[in-house]
Amino acid sequence: MRIGVFVCHCGTNIDGTVDSHQVAEEAKKFPHVVYATDYLYTCSEPGQQEIQQAVGEHDLDGVVVAACSPRMHENTFRRTIERAGLNRYMFEMANIREHCSWIGEDREANTHKAIELVRMAVAKVANHVHLHPSYFEVNKRVLVIGAGVAGMQAALDCADGGLDVVLVEKKSSIGGRMAQLDKTFPTVDCSICILGPKMVDVGQHEKIKLCTYSEIEDISGYVGNYTVNIRRKATYVDWGKCTGCGLCMEKCPSKKAYDYHNEGIADTTAINISFPQAIPKKATIDPEYCRQFTKGKCGVCAKVCPLGAIDYEMEDEIVAEEVGAIIVATGYGLLNMEELGEYGAGRYPDVITGIQYERFLNASGPTQGHVVRPSDGEEPKRVVFISCAGSRDASLDRPYCSNFCCMYIAKQAILTRDHIPDSEVYVFYMDTRSPSKGYEEFIRRAQEEYGVQYVRGRVSRIYPKGKRMVVRGADTLLGTQVEVETDLVVLATAATCAPEAEELAEKLRISYDEYGFYMESHPKLRPVETNTSGVFLAGACQGPKDIPAAVGQGSAAASKVLSLFSKDQLESDPQIAQVMELRCVGCLKCADTCPFQAIEEKELPDGRVVGHVIETVCQGCGLCTSICPSGAIQLQQCTDNQLIAEVEALCQAWRERSSG
Amino acid sequence: MPGMEGTELRIIGFLCNWCSYGGADTAGVSRFKQPTDLRIIRVPCSGRVDPLLVVKAFMEGADGVLVSGCHPRDCHYSEGNFYARRRLEVLKRFLPFMGIEPGRFEYTWVSASEGARWQKVVTDFTDQVHALGPRRNFGEGNGGGDIR
Amino acid sequence: MAILDKLKDGVQRELEGLEFVIGWEQGYDPLHASPLFIRTPGDIDRLIWNPLCVHNLASYLPSLKGRRVGILLKGCDSRSVIQLLQEGLIKREEIVIFGIPCRGVVDLSKIKSRIDTSQMRAVSLMDDAVVIEIPQGREEIPLDDVLATKCLSCQYPTPLIYDHLAGEVLPPQRPTEVLYKEVEVIEELDVQDRLAHWERELDRCIRCYACRNACPLCVCQDYCAAESRNPRWLSQRAGVSEKVMWHIMHALHLAGRCTDCGECERACPMDIPIQRIRRKINKEIKELFGYEAGVNPEDTPPLYTFKVEEPTIQEREW
Repeated sequence: MRIGVFVCHCGTNIDGTVDSHQVAEEAKKFPHVVYATDYLYTCSEPGQQEIQQAVGEHDLDGVVVAACSPRMHENTFRRTIERAGLNRYMFEMANIREHCSWIGEDREANTHKAIELVRMAVAKVANHVHLHPSYFEVNKRVLVIGAGVAGMQAALDCADGGLDVVLVEKKSSIGGRMAQLDKTFPTVDCSICILGPKMVDVGQHEKIKLCTYSEIEDISGYVGNYTVNIRRKATYVDWGKCTGCGLCMEKCPSKKAYDYHNEGIADTTAINISFPQAIPKKATIDPEYCRQFTKGKCGVCAKVCPLGAIDYEMEDEIVAEEVGAIIVATGYGLLNMEELGEYGAGRYPDVITGIQYERFLNASGPTQGHVVRPSDGEEPKRVVFISCAGSRDASLDRPYCSNFCCMYIAKQAILTRDHIPDSEVYVFYMDTRSPSKGYEEFIRRAQEEYGVQYVRGRVSRIYPKGKRMVVRGADTLLGTQVEVETDLVVLATAATCAPEAEELAEKLRISYDEYGFYMESHPKLRPVETNTSGVFLAGACQGPKDIPAAVGQGSAAASKVLSLFSKDQLESDPQIAQVMELRCVGCLKCADTCPFQAIEEKELPDGRVVGHVIETVCQGCGLCTSICPSGAIQLQQCTDNQLIAEVEALCQAWRERSSG
Repeated sequence: MPGMEGTELRIIGFLCNWCSYGGADTAGVSRFKQPTDLRIIRVPCSGRVDPLLVVKAFMEGADGVLVSGCHPRDCHYSEGNFYARRRLEVLKRFLPFMGIEPGRFEYTWVSASEGARWQKVVTDFTDQVHALGPRRNFGEGNGGGDIR
Repeated sequence: MAILDKLKDGVQRELEGLEFVIGWEQGYDPLHASPLFIRTPGDIDRLIWNPLCVHNLASYLPSLKGRRVGILLKGCDSRSVIQLLQEGLIKREEIVIFGIPCRGVVDLSKIKSRIDTSQMRAVSLMDDAVVIEIPQGREEIPLDDVLATKCLSCQYPTPLIYDHLAGEVLPPQRPTEVLYKEVEVIEELDVQDRLAHWERELDRCIRCYACRNACPLCVCQDYCAAESRNPRWLSQRAGVSEKVMWHIMHALHLAGRCTDCGECERACPMDIPIQRIRRKINKEIKELFGYEAGVNPEDTPPLYTFKVEEPTIQEREW
């Protein structure tokens, strides 16, 4: 073989602690290497051109680039050599940056290491063979999971782009968190007034199939061809008949049902429509509170419903949908207040969460926008907000920032002063974070125009004193202890991953971090992709974020799907398992253990049974290769021989080094 | 860190592409300093690591071999690391029987976000192998006593 | 009726529907038995059954898949058949099994280490002794002294699977504790001495692959990864590390499958104690997964399955 080696300096990123030139010089001595050079930035256009030129001039049939991680630029360089006329799989990267120059300061040791890493890559390429992708059909339908503002935006953009969309939402109505909010920062415009029309668009769009009150049961398949089973939970109301007239809610005798939309600050009826602007505007029975279910008799709603829509016998239904791509927009959850013991959260009625306060402020909330203390219904004259309640708190194992709290506290502080002009508002904060457009000005306005008192410090304790609460903490700017007597305390509780986020991730086969937020494919350059082809992320499921960011990601994810679907056929990755039929003894241990059922029995003309890989189903994990005793099934680009070659080349280098 | 003092030992790591290789990248991006002994071989999944690859590395003279994959339940291929865990555990218990000291082979789980954990894994493992010193391979030098 | 008569009787009755029945016959000297392929009723008279019938005839079965055959099995041999059935390598309906309750077979190397058999004239087998006539006189060796190691800890004297059983079910009579005795001797060595031990033992290996060819579970045979170019796990280099590599490969490919039949070690022309390598793995598999290969045809070998939570593996502690 004729292999060329290209060693990148990456400016000083590599060359600062690795002698890139020496690496190239040493590479010239390796078997098969006919050309080696070093360059300032191999990934730059001139750098890539140099590779293309060298392929022609030196008649190369394999290329090694020693630079950054292949997770970064493997595809870049594969395209480069393809432009030069080589098969794009005749390529290997040696990671001499992330795994070498950046993690050690000893230039000599790093250089040795880099040389050995290059030698391993060369040995692997020497075992490469040409691979060619095959093509398969794409089902141009998209599934969006979660109909908050991010999922709605993604669904609308896809549908406007001409795609059929299946939009699945766990709750009975679309809208998500934003539908609970009163106003939005930094413009203080009405949340439902801007969200409502979007919800109507989603509900009426002929390309969007809405599945609310539904959850994902399981997912199988692969990019272009997923099969999704959706559990449509029993609502006990025939939505085909229900007109959302609300008569059942008026007459329902069980009026103590938990009101999820109002975050438990009020009760609702066992049969209810969660909020006036709900889409679809259909009633749902909560069997935990409905007397027909708890006591076995009642039937009031069935009697009063003018359309006979009530069906107590209804059962969950599983519906299968075939789609080609999936956008996950399942949003976030909020920390259970009771974890914040020092704040008395959950014990004292006048310590509430930000989202509960939002419902008090909301004109369509249970108090019609009148702010009251939960304990006695009186108007609070002093309100204390506490930021980072559970966020940035290592003791709760939640060191991250919840992103939007600083801003919504400022908004709620302003709204409090608007609603109760003679009120005093305090904000205990650690830092204020206001990096987006108009945000910093907004916080300034709260402080300067609305006279909100910002106290920099952590609250150590909250306790009741008569009818009021005392907030005790440190003012770290003044270096003193402060105590504020107040009528109401609002906690900006930490944003967490959505409930059951991890279970869904398992079904989707996408990764999640230790807090349950989904992992993007690259933190900067692939922010809405996942490592599972055909699955994209939008909104706070990837990490806490505010409305503009969530909407932006919704659109970004939609554009990814639209560009994926702009081709009629997708290329299948040829880096999959392949059976050498002659060597296969037909034990089918590979088929029994394949996580994707990608291997089937095949009978040869001579009657022998062997394993056969279904190309589009194989994901290229290589489990079969390590299970096959005879080595008859080999993962292409990661065959036994390729790995053995790497091991042998490295050990050979070690032996040469120790023998001088 | 021993590797930085010019007394490198021969350590090979087999890392799954999705979690541990990414974790090692994350450690690099974060400039978390590590001993220089380890050479990493990228595989798609810890389930791809045939225990024989580990044995092969030892037979070729490695002083230490480390396998790292996604945490159980987090496998990109959903089940690969579960199979790996069983096979590698058997291997780990078996190698000392053949005369390869306990501690020269380890397997663990590091996710793509765990750069700091990767730094610790590399440092601890390298220290552990250095504590054992260079390995005498089969056919190298005099072995000493026997049961007979 | 004696066991042999029952066997002959059974074979006589079944032979017509079968291509052949595999048993044992007298070998080239009085101490050796050989496999016998009974194709016609006339062959039946050659059949023998005694403690010299050491061969695990199950080794023939995988290559006979698709043909209807009969086979004679001891208790231990039956485990190989169960393991092969588990892995789908043979089909139950193609095989007629003549099971034999067995009190143990002889390890010839144990006899040879006691007396020079090159000049032996005759051998007679008693219930509890082997009597060998040599020019110097008559040597009577207690049977227990020369039984195969596996027999001294045998828990399955009666086949676990059969169509006909020649005799009564024999309950296990041997203590289990001794099974891993040889393994423990090595475990007690210093790790450097273990390496030296294997270096010395395995250096004798001539890579003839007799151990593999005799193994009932080495179903790859001609396509064995040890002799292939792709994958090329082993070079042709004669160094001891290549030999060790081969023996570890063999043992690991048998992990969770080996039924401890001992054919590998018996077949080894260099008398390398390789069975204890497999036994060590069997011991760990038993400890980790509570699993013994070749006991239940419905089981899945432990390395081809998993649990999400492994109660016996504490890998997170590292």
